[in-house]
Amino acid sequence: MVIILLLSIWEIAGRVFNIPAWLLPVPTQVWQEAIHGWMHYSGHILSTIRLTLIGYMIGIIVGLTVATLLFRLPVLQEAFYPLLILSQNIPIIVLAPLLVIWFGFGMIPKVIVIVLVCFFPITIATLDGLRQTDRDLLHYMKMTGATNRQVFWKLQWPYALPSIFSGLKIAGTYSVMGAVISEWLGANKGIGVYMTLASSSFKTDRVFVAILLIMILSLTFFAIIALIEKWLLRWQRQGENSSNG
Amino acid sequence: MGKLTLQHISKSYGENHVLQDVSFHVDEGEFVTIVGPSGSGKSTLFQLIGGLYAPDNGKITLDGIDLNNSRGHISYMPQNPSLFPWRTIIQNVLLSSEIAGQKDMGNALELIEKAGLSGYEQSYPHQLSGGMKQRVAFIRSLNSPQSIICLDEPFSALDEFTRFEMQEWLLTIWEEYRKSIVFITHNIEEALYLSDRILILSDKPASIHKQIIVPFPRPRSEDILLSEQFMKLKREIHYELRGR
Repeated sequence: MVIILLLSIWEIAGRVFNIPAWLLPVPTQVWQEAIHGWMHYSGHILSTIRLTLIGYMIGIIVGLTVATLLFRLPVLQEAFYPLLILSQNIPIIVLAPLLVIWFGFGMIPKVIVIVLVCFFPITIATLDGLRQTDRDLLHYMKMTGATNRQVFWKLQWPYALPSIFSGLKIAGTYSVMGAVISEWLGANKGIGVYMTLASSSFKTDRVFVAILLIMILSLTFFAIIALIEKWLLRWQRQGENSSNG
Repeated sequence: MGKLTLQHISKSYGENHVLQDVSFHVDEGEFVTIVGPSGSGKSTLFQLIGGLYAPDNGKITLDGIDLNNSRGHISYMPQNPSLFPWRTIIQNVLLSSEIAGQKDMGNALELIEKAGLSGYEQSYPHQLSGGMKQRVAFIRSLNSPQSIICLDEPFSALDEFTRFEMQEWLLTIWEEYRKSIVFITHNIEEALYLSDRILILSDKPASIHKQIIVPFPRPRSEDILLSEQFMKLKREIHYELRGR
């Protein structure tokens, strides 16, 4: 409702004050462009989705591996935790050109950008989840004589899954942004490219189409992850705190 | 199989002297209960038997195997059921045998049936009542290959009625399988009703203060709860625990 209201105000204001389309197109113009310009951007979407998925998958693998290593080897945790946080303090905009210098214009620097933005939330959420393991269950496992490996796979890992999924959802939306940013570095296809081309030629309506596309992509991505979560954690659906009592 | 021996066990945590020269044994197929004031080191005793820590002095053996700091020789049922919420009932029952490295499906189904939980195999723990969860926790400990089960105040969180039902059920199923049991409780009636022998722990630092051999024959019926002899023993243990 709020969105519809805002869009109407935008539409009316745009028409009343007669704002030129290259400065700020009204929603209907953006919508027209979104429908009629399909052949201009359809190829770009696919390319961005592909890049996002590759980056996200690698990001998940890196994120989970780092979290697991840091959790199982507390010595590493002390050494690398600050480094992990620092890695998030380097602005991607600065890092991106460097990556291009080092790795060229291919796939690698783009994937690295996405991995950098999405492994962090996954790592932090996973670590938190692993640390919160229920003490009673842990005590049971130890008394029964479970090995560290069994404790990890049979208890700590499944116990951390809800946390891991909150990390995965955050990372999922980041990864779409990451993909678009990485395409600004220099690519010949992708929503990021479509966006830069549009803005440099003052086709502002297309810029907004690009924004719209990014939003739709992020939401779809989020929804898919949430669905997988719901299916995997179906034991959780009714009633929390089911481990005790 | 299932003969547990503790010889002169002492354990302290820093200044805190918890156990002092504790010696006892549990015979094959025997049901031994340890009662003691709360905080008297009952749980520490289990952690030592479970091999989580090594005693400062003394020796714990099970069928001749040294248990000092060696895990996986006992089967365990904790105070709260500690079922894994993401595992179905059948998966929970199988957990203990999985840890021991030999999944036993047939036995698990039979045990679930004996626990009156047929039809709940694919349910999750949160769908069960407190008593049902405890039954799952007990058959989980039965369904593993170890010859001795340690039960740590398993019924203390249940209401009076469910508690009695559970005790009756425990006796029936135990009489069928006859594994050795070490049972911890602070409920005197429960100790008398269930066990062959009762060991009374003294206050900290705990040692075996007195041993009571429970004279009631098995299978036991509800009637003994009201018998003269039962009351007399109950009083005796009560004063023994209170006396110091």
